[in-house]
Formats: sequence, C-alpha cells, structure tokens
Amino acid sequence: MDTTNKNEGRRDFLKKSTALAALTIASPALIKAGDNDEKIAAYFEKVPLELEINGQAYKLSVEPRVTLLDLLREQLGLTGTKKGCDHGQCGCCTVHVDGKRINSCLSLAVMSHGKKVTTIEGLAKGEELHPMQEAFMKHDGFQCGYCTPGQIMSAIGCIREGHANTAEDVREYMSGNICRCGAYPNIVDAIMEVKKGGKQL
Amino acid sequence: MMNIDSYTHVRGESVYLDDIPLVNGTLFASVFDSPVAHGKIKSLDIDAAMKMPGVVRIFTAADIPGENQIGGIIADEELLASTHVHFCGMPVALVVATSDEAAKAAVKKIKIEIDPLPVITDPREAKEKNELIIPPRTFQLGDTTAAWTQCDYIIEGSTATNGQEHLYIETQGAYAVPQENSAIRIYSSTQGPTQVQRTTARVLNIPMNFIEVDTTRLGGGFGGKEDQASAWGAMCALAAWHLKKPVKYSLHRMEDMRMTGKRHPYSSDFKIGLNKDYKIVAYEVTFFQNAGAAADLSPAVMERTLFHCTNSYFIPNVKATAYSCKTNLPPNTAFRGFGGPQGMFVIEAAIAEAAAALNVSPILIQQKNLLKTGDEFPYGQIAQSEANECWDKAVNLYDLQKLQQEVDAYNNNNKLSKKGLALMPICFGISFTKTLMNQARALVHVYTDGSVGVSTAGVEMGQGLNTKILQVAASIFSINPERIKVNTTNTYRVANTSPTAASASSDLNGKATEIACVAILQRLKEVAAEEFTADISSIEVKEDCVFVNGKQTDWSWNKLVQAAFVKRVSLSEHAHYAPPGIWFDTTKEKGHPFTYHVYGTAITTVTIDCLRGIYEVDSVKIVHDFGKSMNPIIDIGQCEGALVQGIGWMTMEEMLYDKEGKLKSNALSTYKVPDIYSVPKEITIHFLETEKENLAIFRSKAVGEPPLMYGIGAYFALFNAIKAFNPAANIPYDAPMTPEKVLMSLYPQTLKENK
Repeated sequence: MDTTNKNEGRRDFLKKSTALAALTIASPALIKAGDNDEKIAAYFEKVPLELEINGQAYKLSVEPRVTLLDLLREQLGLTGTKKGCDHGQCGCCTVHVDGKRINSCLSLAVMSHGKKVTTIEGLAKGEELHPMQEAFMKHDGFQCGYCTPGQIMSAIGCIREGHANTAEDVREYMSGNICRCGAYPNIVDAIMEVKKGGKQL
Repeated sequence: MMNIDSYTHVRGESVYLDDIPLVNGTLFASVFDSPVAHGKIKSLDIDAAMKMPGVVRIFTAADIPGENQIGGIIADEELLASTHVHFCGMPVALVVATSDEAAKAAVKKIKIEIDPLPVITDPREAKEKNELIIPPRTFQLGDTTAAWTQCDYIIEGSTATNGQEHLYIETQGAYAVPQENSAIRIYSSTQGPTQVQRTTARVLNIPMNFIEVDTTRLGGGFGGKEDQASAWGAMCALAAWHLKKPVKYSLHRMEDMRMTGKRHPYSSDFKIGLNKDYKIVAYEVTFFQNAGAAADLSPAVMERTLFHCTNSYFIPNVKATAYSCKTNLPPNTAFRGFGGPQGMFVIEAAIAEAAAALNVSPILIQQKNLLKTGDEFPYGQIAQSEANECWDKAVNLYDLQKLQQEVDAYNNNNKLSKKGLALMPICFGISFTKTLMNQARALVHVYTDGSVGVSTAGVEMGQGLNTKILQVAASIFSINPERIKVNTTNTYRVANTSPTAASASSDLNGKATEIACVAILQRLKEVAAEEFTADISSIEVKEDCVFVNGKQTDWSWNKLVQAAFVKRVSLSEHAHYAPPGIWFDTTKEKGHPFTYHVYGTAITTVTIDCLRGIYEVDSVKIVHDFGKSMNPIIDIGQCEGALVQGIGWMTMEEMLYDKEGKLKSNALSTYKVPDIYSVPKEITIHFLETEKENLAIFRSKAVGEPPLMYGIGAYFALFNAIKAFNPAANIPYDAPMTPEKVLMSLYPQTLKENK
C-alpha cells in the first residue's frame, strides 16, 4: 500500500469533513479565514484538552493522535515517565489516571480529558517521599532505574486494587512491568512492606 | 551503602539520554535500514521522502567526509551501506527532520532496489564456505590425541545455544550538539564514550579532541552498548556537522531490536574422555560462533569462549578450536559473559552426556574434576582456586543430599509433575582479555569548601559503579560520603577510556580513584605535618578531622583543605591505573590474562508440568566468591540480576531469524524476557568471603558477569526433570529450553509418530 496517498487522504478527509463542522461550530473569524483549507485543517487537527496533572490544571491543545506518554514527555517536560517499547509491553510508562494504573503509551492524551493524571513526579510532597518510593529505596528495588517510575506507579496501583495480599499475588499483578536488570526480588519485598504498612495509598 | 542514585531514581529525576532538555532548533533523525539480508544496492530513491513535511535532509554514504567505517577490531563495517547490504537492518540512509514523527514518516517513503545475493544464517554453513571473520584459533593443554588411549569412556556430541537480545529498557541513542570551531558534543547512551569519540572522529575526519562525549548513566547496557552505541553517535554527529544544528536520535524499540546485534549463537561439537574414576582425561571442543555480518567484538568474544571452555574443571588434555563465522545477521556483540557462557554450556553438556552414558549422576563427575589451586588452565595461567570451597560450602550449607531426596520423593509421588535438580559451578576470569584495555584514569578535585568531585572512565549503568567509586573516595579521605559527587563520564575530563565492560570497571576505575585520592591526601598530610610540626607519619585524617599521633586536633577537613589552598598546594589529581602482572601471547595462546578468577556454585531446582511442558524455577541456592564485598547490597543485586538474565537466556528467551535473515522475535510481544512472575521463587546467596589477597578494589571481587552462568544450571535442572519423567528421552543440547521444547522432549515418540 502506498502510505503517501493514505496520509493525504486522511488530511483531505479532515479538510472536507471539518469544513462542514466548521460552519456550525467555529468562530466567524475562522470561517472567514476558511478560504484557506490548510488553516482549518490545522485548527481541527488539534483538539482542546483540559486535565489535571499532579494537582495542576492544564488547558492544552493537542493532536488527537498524541499519546498521553508523548504529551507528558515531549510537550510538558515530565520526563520521569519513561518510554521503553511504546507498545504497552514493558510497563515503563505506567501512570495513574483517576487513581488507576494505565500504560500511558497505549492511551491517547484526549482520553484523559477532565481526568486527574498522576505521574512519578507527583508522588512526593516536596522532599517527603511517598511510602512506595521510600520502600523502593530501602529495598534497593532497582539497578539502572529506568523502569523504576513505572514499577512504583504500578506497585501503588497493585496495592490499591487489592492485588498485593501475598508475594505470589504481587508477582502475578506486577508481571506487566519488565525490569531487565532483574531487581525483582527486591521489588516484591518493597511492595510487600508497603502493603503490610497498611497506609492508604 | 545505598545506591547513590536511589533518591533520583524513585522520584523519576534521574536523567537518561531521552530526558536531556533539548537545545532550541534540535532536529530528529531516523534510519532507513536494509529490508534484505544480503545484496547489491541497485538504486536508492529518496525523492519522495525529501518532499515529506518537516524533512531537512537525508544523508547517505556519499555524505560522509571521512571514512565510512565503524569497525573497532576489524575495519569491515560501514556506517551507512554504500554498494552492498550485509544484513537486514543495516543502516542505509539517515533522515533528519524537524520532529521524530516526521523523520520516521519520511523513512517509509524511501525506496531501495537490491539485487539479492545468497544469505547465510547458519554458522556451520558459513564455515563450510570459508566465510570467517578471522582465522580460527586453538587453545591446547597436554596432548589429546595421545590421551584418548588412556580413557575408559569416550563420549561425543553436539550442542547449540541461541543468541539473546539485550533488551536494555532504555533503547540506544545519541544527541549531537555542535559547538564553536566545528567541535561537537555528543550525549550518548554508551558503555564506551571513547569508542563513540574515536568512531565519530574517523567518520567526520576531525581530531578526537574536537569531540566531547558525555554520558550520565544508561538505562541498562549489558554489553549491547559497548561497541554498538557508536553508530548512532556518529550518525547524529554527521548530521549535526553538516547542518550545524543539534541532532537527536533515540531509537524506537523495534528499530533497536532490528538493527543491533545480540549475544552470539553458537553451535559446537565435543568429545570428552574419562577414566574409571570419572576423572576427565581429555576434552576436545570445536566452537562455531555466529558472528553476524561484521567483526564487531566477535574475535574477542570468541577468545573468551576459549578461555572458559573448561569452566571450573581441571582437564589435563584439552584442545579447543573456535571459528568466528560470518553470516548475514546483524553483527553480534558483547553480552554479559562475553562468550564465556557459550563455552561453559558445552562442557556442562559433555558432562551430562557422559553421566547419562555411564549411568552416574553428573554431580559426581562435576565434583571429581573441580579445579584446585595450582592447576593449569588451558591458556597457561595457574589457578588460585576457590572452586572446591564454593562447591563444598553449597553442598553442606544447603544440604544437597536432603534436596536430592526431596526431589526424588516428589518424583516418586507425582506422575505428571516432575522436579529436577542441577549443580552449576562457575569460574570466570576478570580482566579484558586484550591486555592493553586494562587501564583506567580518574580525575579528583577537592574544592576549597572541602567538597570533592570525582570523574572516572567508568559508565554507570545500574551496576552501582558510581556508588563504589564514591565509597573509595570517602574511604581514602575519611570524609562524609555526602561531600563527594561522582560526575558524568566525559571524554574531555577523562580521556582514552576503555569501555565499561568485562566486570572490571570497579577494579580499574576504583583503583585509579584510590591512587588519585591517596596522592591528594599525602599532600594534605604534608600541610598538616608542617602546621603541627609533626612527622608526616603521625598525621591521620579521620572522620572529617585531623589527628596527630592519634589525638584529635581542632583542624577539620575543611580547615586542612583551606590551609593547603593558601599554601598553593594542588588539590587536584589525575591518576592512572593499570593492573600489574597480566599478559597474553597470542602466538602461543598462553599467558596470564586475568588478574584473578571469580568462583561459585549454584544448586537449582525446577518443577515441570508434564502435560503442558511449562515449568517453574523453584529455587536457586548459591555460594558465591565475593572476595570481601565492599557493598553487599549492590553485589547481591548484581548476583540476582545476572542469575535471572542467565535463566532467561537458557529457558524462555528465544531469538528467531527466518531463512532470509529477518528477525521474527522483533518486539517484546514476540520475545519473552523474565518478568517478575517467572524468576525463581527462592534465591539464596551465601557470601564466600575470603581473606586472600587479590587485585580487586578493596579485595571486593568483580561481580557483573560471573553469576549469569548460574543460569546454565536451570537448563540442566529442566533436563534432569524431563529425564525423571522419561528416562529414555533423547534431549538435544539445544538452549533455550522453552516450554515447547520441554514438551517435545517429554514425548519424543508422539512427536515421531506425528511426523
């Protein structure tokens, strides 16, 4: 298949379909500028997005195809969330959306409209670490550190879901987060300690 | 002491290549790579790609101002293919655009026509066709030809071990930023900053002193970024040099898996002879290393296979020959163990085969042949052995007899589930086998406020090197570790670095740091001696204070440093360390290549499900020779991590290329690495601490690679579990032992009938 035509087709489609929509919803100023198809297409190729990230409200304009991961890393400079595979296979990019863990590489940014996103940067209160961060430090739950933000976010999710009652449980429900350095035994210990601590996460 | 990166790691504040804030105007690169494994390039059409939005320029071989060459050991690998392609994934063109997405979109528009040439993927076929990277090498001890007559049993066989994808979770990448006077700064995710610098200098035809390579840390390396990080650095630098703009390339996972080399697959033949006492009298082995399409580090990897072909056994008559075979796969490269594991697998298979033929336990043969101090390795070095100490400790501490009885009892009571147990002793030589690479430098500055900065040649990649370096400086100066900062690895601060590899970096860089700190401390003591009109031998600096004749003075470390500065005494030192006594003569294949060896023994127990072929590793109980560990937390982590990686290589990690040389296991969905669920349920590590002198830093032995080879024990434990179900099973020595292969080995008859 010729991908050129496919892309151009998509853009043409957007121009045509959005021109119609523009008549109904776009501002008069924009309709005036509507002689220029490119401008309209560009306008409608970005969508407004309002969400809260780590307690801060954002009003953004993003391309609908942008993943939450790319939004965080490339546009907002929140590079604590890592890209390992970009296909939802390594768990490096795990963040919380409304308190639940998700792979941010498999989630479009627009899907988080009106929601609360928490990344690794949002866990600590200033210098004061989150109990899971403390536990990972105490148990040396990492080596190179690259998968660590995802492991920590996932670990908190795992406990919140009630999936950390035994070490077996933890292994099962943390199996989506790959640590190539193999710090797994320490990761299990860290999570079990937080679970036993019984704090509300 | 805790890993010094702990705090930033858990906060997501540790900076990796892809996290470096971008300079305004940064462009993004992406590679167009060959879709064909071997052929002559007929045409390359970049016109459509050039018209894509955001594309700035597309570079090909013709744009290289210097030498189109990245081969480190042998000049046989082009940066960008000029006339021929030699493997699927070989870079052909570099697209540079205003965004990463634009660059990747344009890559898809490039068209190439290639006249195909024959594709070889099998090392034995390459050897038959005389496609060799270097001439074969042979290590010899005694005389095997004469020794066969003294053998009561002679057993022969073949083995295969597959490759292994590094899968560092941070992919390869580089970011080149032009500087004034045509200099270039390259941020690189590399284990070998100097290798990136040297390669870039060669490609751009500019001197090395115009290229600054800086590395903060890696999100994993495992050998994959020892030599293979250079291409991306050189490509970004090439584009930055032409365009006078910063250029970044952080590879997508699938690009990385497709374009980079892996652990070498090996195919091997063995012949082993034993006497009636189960002593191994003679051993002949031939290794066919699948080097891929270019030398890369293959000759050195092949050499280490030969060094470790007898593992931790003494065999009086050995003949080991290795062929580095050129195939049309991505050039295979360093991977934790560096050829050693491949050599050790074959001797373990030979012992297993002999044990089966003689109807004895392989444990008996292993134990009877362990190296003793004074024994000679096939390469001439005399062993300072801890093999028996580790073995005996493991057998007693973990009660081997009881473990074996438990396994036997389980097997008697269970029909469709069986357990297997295997012992795996290891012996691994520490040092780069190329003697000249065993050198390192450190630059230590004491600032006037008493704080200390240390730079070394070593790269932090999770192995805790920087923590150990900091410990060395804190220990020599006897100051609070918080006053010390270990800086990025940078070729402007420390030059001519050897790559961070061979498990030797804590030793080499730690010793260089030690020398630098001792020299500064000596000068500081001279200042104190003058102040207190005391003999220098009576001066001590302890816990941030100056002591004279054991009595604390009112001089703090800070005051001492300031006094030295006022007296115009140098507070900086650049030190060099090269371990003494190592050499190797390749004309005779004899010498003393290693500063020391690391030993250990692991007892592995597995359970297989005889209906499904799936299995679990129940426990791995280890006695490991740490010397005197300077950081047990880090060393246990290294030991566990290496073990898990070794088990992955031996069990689930199945790398697949098709006949056309295309990688089929090209993503995490098709290539399985150990997850948290699949690691052994129990890992126990006992520290064999020895008081003997060695050349390790603070006598704390190297720990990066040796424990990987405990993973071989998992293969043979599975092997034994299959035998427990079906004693007649003829199990091929073909690693990894995937569940699929276990199932096929359990029911060979069914398999035969269905064929």
